[in-house]
Amino acid sequence: MKLIIGHLYPDLLNLYGDRGNIQCMRKRCEWRGIEAEVREFQLTDPVDFSELDIVLLGGGSDREQMIVCRKLQEIREDFRAYVEDYGSVLAVCGGYQLLGHYYDTEDGRMEGLSLVDLYTRQGSPRLISNVVIENEGFDGPVVGFENHGGRTYIGENRPFGTVVSGYGNNGEDGKEGVLYKHVVGTYLHGPLLPKNPHVCDYLLANALDRKYGTRDLAPLDDRQEWEANRYAAERFAKS
Amino acid sequence: MRVRRLLSVWTAKLISAVCKMAGKQGVTLAGKVALKIDPAVLRDLSAQVRKEIFVVCGTNGKTTTNNLLCSALEAEGQKVVCNHTGSNMLPGVAAAFALCARPDGRLDADYACIEIDEASAVRVFPHFRPDYMVLTNLFRDQLDRYGEIDITMKLLDRAMKMAPDMKVIVNADDALSWYLAEESGHPCVTYGISEKMEDVPRMNEIREGRFCKRCGEKLEYEFYHYSQIGKYRCPNCGFARPEADFDASGISLRDGITFTAEGRTFHVGYRGFYNVYNVLAAYSAARTAGFALQNFGRMLSGFNPQNGRMERFRVGDTEIVLNLAKNPAGFNQNISAVLEDRNQKDIIIVINDNAQDGLDISWLWDVDFDRLCEDSIRTITVSGIRCQDMRLRLKYVDIASELIPDVETAVRARLKDGCGNLYVLVNYTALYSTRNILAQMEKTAGRGLKRPQKQNQKVS
Repeated sequence: MKLIIGHLYPDLLNLYGDRGNIQCMRKRCEWRGIEAEVREFQLTDPVDFSELDIVLLGGGSDREQMIVCRKLQEIREDFRAYVEDYGSVLAVCGGYQLLGHYYDTEDGRMEGLSLVDLYTRQGSPRLISNVVIENEGFDGPVVGFENHGGRTYIGENRPFGTVVSGYGNNGEDGKEGVLYKHVVGTYLHGPLLPKNPHVCDYLLANALDRKYGTRDLAPLDDRQEWEANRYAAERFAKS
Repeated sequence: MRVRRLLSVWTAKLISAVCKMAGKQGVTLAGKVALKIDPAVLRDLSAQVRKEIFVVCGTNGKTTTNNLLCSALEAEGQKVVCNHTGSNMLPGVAAAFALCARPDGRLDADYACIEIDEASAVRVFPHFRPDYMVLTNLFRDQLDRYGEIDITMKLLDRAMKMAPDMKVIVNADDALSWYLAEESGHPCVTYGISEKMEDVPRMNEIREGRFCKRCGEKLEYEFYHYSQIGKYRCPNCGFARPEADFDASGISLRDGITFTAEGRTFHVGYRGFYNVYNVLAAYSAARTAGFALQNFGRMLSGFNPQNGRMERFRVGDTEIVLNLAKNPAGFNQNISAVLEDRNQKDIIIVINDNAQDGLDISWLWDVDFDRLCEDSIRTITVSGIRCQDMRLRLKYVDIASELIPDVETAVRARLKDGCGNLYVLVNYTALYSTRNILAQMEKTAGRGLKRPQKQNQKVS
């Protein structure tokens, strides 16, 4: 079996250790004998979504995000078809904001992809914190770090988790991130996946399911992952 | 007013002395209290500097560059005020002056060499206007504290506007620093390395500012020295690396660093390619201020970077090098420096996430740790508050490590079973405590043992 992971615009969207998410997916495939290929796309490269099994859209500075945002409009329809067809997406931070309809900033409106029914407004101060969230669908807490000026509102969509500690989408409604079909949108970096192997495996299983009709993932020795997860969950859930 | 300044100076000295006895640094506290007692203390004391004031800014290399510059000026017979310890926010800067003042509250100094945190420059410059600013480089650093690098650049720009006559001595090889300096309209002096280095390790590094700050086009590079440092030009608007006024050439990284500038060859006994930039920056700054620097080479051979910058300790039979590594660019350069040593070695990596380190440790994943997968590295031990994250980081490049959260225990373990060549890489808040531990061990274990003489050449 083989999964192809598309990393969109790593030159521009590479804040906060996003490479770690890629590395985590790659290794957890390899350790199970699943081939993993990572394709990095530059701004001028065409993106053929029909070849991709997982797409990573990371975070960048506001300025760089603006450059990407213009480019994304060109691939919006292909990206939408991929998402509607249950293609796996991990969108972090700026990438998460771009999934929605728009991001209103003091410099004007940044048009999003409208792949998921959500929107973002700039707020002050920036929401910066260690985060712990919970979701019954995931066996264990999800831990990470958030650093965002935008406040995101997901309406009736399912959140990625309920905030135990930290701010989440907007610091108001206790929700963090969004789950839509096989899309995971979140403000959590750290990066997200290494310390949350259950989330990584969720993305991998979804991708395998879509491509090969199986969700079977061989178990791995995740003791170090869970120790790091538990450390963060216990330390920050109190604060 | 005078009584207030006296009180301010004496209190700072007292606090510093007490803290030292308690084994704490205390510089920041001393500065805070000094400013509280006399808010004008920094303005008044800095106004007494007889000749000129240098400030050193930039993400990496500030402390070493500033200390080198201070030593270079001292070697020319000047009296210098300097924040040696690297305490570089407003209180640290105030403390440097207050602690240097005489008991009568007057300052006796020809020059001041002050390193300033990028975000603090706007708070320091209202107290004095520097004559020179050395701008070393700009990398991503502590994103949770500074926000994006664009924000850091805006803050620096604001500070620079407060001192319009200041001359900027800038790293020509960093597109971000050069853009900032050039756009500011200040008179600029440039330094850099215009020749391509052989044997530069291939890295898949995160590079900042790949896109032209002036027009947004992707920059073209003839070569990279490391990170985004290299020879760049914009194919669209013509923004490009300027000719360096001070150019280092003939660089060799064998047994320390050797290079030539202005026809003079210099040698330093410690490792790290990035130290070429630190030495060159200090040299360029002092030359710009009009010094002939006949004593520069001799100063270098006696210079110990200290403060945990490639600082050496000897405990029993083990040679220990302590080095600060607090952001991806710095850590990648540190790894290069460790790998320049081909001998067998053990490594301890200490990672904390206190406020001064940045609470966010995701930057660990932007460091190219896969390069530590080398035969000469016998063991890697991870320590500090976030040692678990560090262990996981290494696991995902298939490198096994031993987890020993307590730093002292970790060092003792490697002293016991290590190969006698130990590198300790630490981030910011782990630095001072680790340095104390190593100094204490050296003192108790190594009494009577002398450090091996460093091999140094003189200026040609």
